[in-house]
Amino acid sequence: MRSYKWAIILVGLVLGIMLAAQYRVTREIQANEVVQRAQELSTQIEKLKIDRDSFQKQVDELRSQLDEVTAGPQVSEIKEALEHARIEAGVSEVSGPGVEVTLNDSSVALKPGQNPNLYVLHDEDILRVLNELRAAGAEALSINGQRLLATTEVRCTGPTILLNKNKRLAPPYVITAIGNPDILESSLKMKGGVAETLQFWGIQVAVKKLPEVIVPAYSGGIRFEYAEAES
Amino acid sequence: MNKSTYLYITIFAVVVGSMLAMQFRTASSDDLPVPFDRLQELTIEKKQLEKDVNQLQEEASDLEAKLEEAMISHAGAAGALESELYKIKLYAGLLPVVGPGVEVTLDNPSGAGLRYGENAGYTIKDEDLLRVLNDLRGAGAEAIAVNGQRILATSEVRLAGNHINVNLTRLSPPYKIIAIGNPGTLKSSLELKGGLAEYLSEQGALVNVETKEQIRVPAYDGSLRLEYAGPTQK
Repeated sequence: MRSYKWAIILVGLVLGIMLAAQYRVTREIQANEVVQRAQELSTQIEKLKIDRDSFQKQVDELRSQLDEVTAGPQVSEIKEALEHARIEAGVSEVSGPGVEVTLNDSSVALKPGQNPNLYVLHDEDILRVLNELRAAGAEALSINGQRLLATTEVRCTGPTILLNKNKRLAPPYVITAIGNPDILESSLKMKGGVAETLQFWGIQVAVKKLPEVIVPAYSGGIRFEYAEAES
Repeated sequence: MNKSTYLYITIFAVVVGSMLAMQFRTASSDDLPVPFDRLQELTIEKKQLEKDVNQLQEEASDLEAKLEEAMISHAGAAGALESELYKIKLYAGLLPVVGPGVEVTLDNPSGAGLRYGENAGYTIKDEDLLRVLNDLRGAGAEAIAVNGQRILATSEVRLAGNHINVNLTRLSPPYKIIAIGNPGTLKSSLELKGGLAEYLSEQGALVNVETKEQIRVPAYDGSLRLEYAGPTQK
């Protein structure tokens, strides 16, 4: 009778310890590996960002040096064309009159059972606002300081949007556009326009006309991998 | 009696123990998908940054060579500027480019041979086209044109009656979108399950995506509207 009691206690103890140990070890290993790898990647990314910025600075400096050393009337025509092409390509910082459009998620208090997704900004909403501004003659555009190029996509990923392949932005989204401020503003605010549609969902749209806005240059590589000049 | 009770208890304990252990293991692996997603995100970000750094490095050495050339003589300066202009125009979409890619055709249904439930009156809208362009850009398209109109950073896509205006030019269906990039990636970005091609066909539009080994995207042929924007004075 006595030995039987002890045996049960022993079995229970051993089983408990084994289980606890097993559980902790597997958890720790999995968590550690992932966390460690993530930390490693984050450090590498930080370093790459510093590299990118310094190379970007170098490229910008070289471009302005090239502009400086090439002076004279015979090249002024080329320089003007180059200036325009750079603005269109998005590789130079530009300023001028324009508007600042601020978009933010809905402030509407949801009733139970309502789909919250309907009251959140989507990539399509931003695409439509951008498209309206382009149609109204916007000459240069940026969102939260990210220049929009001909190849820029706008992707909704969870609560953030993804732009220029890896630039993640969080709301509020501030779209800066250079152009005629009155035309740009009225293109959004006209009856039945984008602002009205978005406001139906409670999405906050604010348009501010400004005498001078700055649209920064694109930072990053713009070389083609697949496309090449037609020979 | 004593011995068999012993045996039963042992078996019971082993069963309960292994059940518990299994339970714990599944529970702890449930935590994993989130960090793995993060890892994937970080890996993609790193890859893109590496690409950026490499390209900027190339750009810098290219500019250095031109600067050297420009400092030698006046003729060299003009030549360096010309070739810089050519390069920037290429990126800006002011020159025609060739490369592999896809050809996407969007058309309104003709009305003949409609099956039950198909919408005879479907017209392709500007938003449909905008979304196709956005998907192609997301999949890495480097140059895009719609019915011969090159898409620039400032190109609009607007519905005007039964037509769509792009670059202030009136286009009519069928819309032929040409994009240069990785053909497989471009095609699958549109054709993935629940993707845009499926959605548009569901709406009644005729969608066709074809990969091409070599296609040509024309240059923007209008004039650049730059009345308001100018380089920032430093």
